[in-house]
Amino acid sequence: MLSLNERFLLGSYKKVFLAKSSGKNPIKVFFKLMLKKGLIDGILTCGEEEGRPVPSLFLKAEEVKISLLNRCFGVNTLLKRAVQKYRLSKLAVLAPSCMFDGLNKTQYFGIGCNWTKTAVALKVGLLCMGALTETAQIAEITHITGKRKRVKRVFFGSGALYYETDDGESVEVPPRVHHSYTLTACRYCLNMSAKGTDITFVPKENPEEGLFIVRSERGWYTLAQVQKLAPGELKLKAAPKEEVESIISCLREKTLLNINDILERIELGLPVPKWSDNKLRKFYRAWNSVEDTNLEEEVF
Amino acid sequence: MFFRDKLINEEEPKLKIGFLHFSSCSGCQVAFLDMFEEAVEILDTVELVYSNMLTRQREIPFLDVAFVEGALCLEDSHHIGLIKELAEKSKLIVAIGGCASFGGVRRLSCGNQLPQPQHQSFVPITEIELLKGKIKYAIPGCPPNPSLLYSFLLALLELNDDFLQPFEFMASSKDASGFDVIAEVVNKGFCVGCGTCATACPTRAISYNENCGKPTFNPSMCVHCGSCLAACPQSFKPYPQPVYS
Repeated sequence: MLSLNERFLLGSYKKVFLAKSSGKNPIKVFFKLMLKKGLIDGILTCGEEEGRPVPSLFLKAEEVKISLLNRCFGVNTLLKRAVQKYRLSKLAVLAPSCMFDGLNKTQYFGIGCNWTKTAVALKVGLLCMGALTETAQIAEITHITGKRKRVKRVFFGSGALYYETDDGESVEVPPRVHHSYTLTACRYCLNMSAKGTDITFVPKENPEEGLFIVRSERGWYTLAQVQKLAPGELKLKAAPKEEVESIISCLREKTLLNINDILERIELGLPVPKWSDNKLRKFYRAWNSVEDTNLEEEVF
Repeated sequence: MFFRDKLINEEEPKLKIGFLHFSSCSGCQVAFLDMFEEAVEILDTVELVYSNMLTRQREIPFLDVAFVEGALCLEDSHHIGLIKELAEKSKLIVAIGGCASFGGVRRLSCGNQLPQPQHQSFVPITEIELLKGKIKYAIPGCPPNPSLLYSFLLALLELNDDFLQPFEFMASSKDASGFDVIAEVVNKGFCVGCGTCATACPTRAISYNENCGKPTFNPSMCVHCGSCLAACPQSFKPYPQPVYS
């Protein structure tokens, strides 16, 4: 029996911080500082090219460009380049939970990319209510506003997902509408808050603000190191309880829709996503993070 | 695990392993060598007793675990003899790489080439009835990563069922091409567009399409090594085929 409580929806965490940086996206500042100070030697994420998100590998702090949209695909295509070509050993990855599924599997089994197990220094997850392609996003925003617009930024506000459009308007995205436009696989996702990562990042309405949900010892230590090395650039304070509750209520609504879709598949007699079966026992339980608290400790 | 008692012999604590070469490029043995210093860590528990590349042994001794690379060439009498010897002298067989497990690049061969034009038909060892009971695992890849071989060997020594189970599935699977990723994952609505299959593909037969956020497949470049489907984070639960229950 699944209980849609905080532990299931958000997973276990040490503390939630409200991060603020002057004039820049806090996650970008965080990664830039880490690269500058040598805490990591590369960032694997969805970057930006002419306003479009593209899988990117950044090796220099000045090159870092992080996509502000929920269209993060194909990050793992650059894994071989990062680990085998550039021989990076302190790689940081910023992506939604599904990308980490692939990365975790590669780390655990070694299929796909050589020696990935020891190459990743930090996993930063993105709170993701479902990814969608550019075309689907244009259709979605047209559905909601009645006008054809382009989405510039995605953020989480008072208990809902919001889009900032190219004309500067903030549009609330109803979960049911978003659910119908996302990728099919995202409709079965039960790990929207990226459980199993070191830190989960949640973008806020103010572009200079964001929530850092610190989960692991490694995440805590890295954040402390960044604070120590550059105390003024990223200001952290404990996030108010309401912030966390608003995210939970947003996740709960979407999770219910996802569970409904999973049950529908079962009813149709179609194969269901991996969470419902424990063929691979311990690994799958940990992987799906349904029962276990820390994927990292469980799997590796 | 069925071979647990067979493998653990208190009088001879070292596990005797051997590499047998059939029709292949020997890349899988080279991948084994690429473990470098990691291999040293397991040499006190493992003894390499036979390999056409790494030992001087002419005759195949009795093996606890036989790692087999390459497909069986039906017209090669040496191969036929080797298969019979393998069935007789090995306790457990592990098929390494695409050729031994699924046919691999040999699936595309029609033979009739010099210097041995008589070599025309190739069968993956997982399809040979004589070895059926002994082939327990198949490792995908062309060649498999050294880190995968290292982790596999460790799991075998530790009898780690969690790790070994997917490879057990693969020994009875025929899903090894990009078409299977499309059919089993993309078409069934499980693809999240992570790109792990594209990075796993050794021939770039699978590429990632930015517009649809999913992989696209070029069949003319696929060597049927099985890496893509094995690497896909959505694949192992219904491996080798989805369970409709």
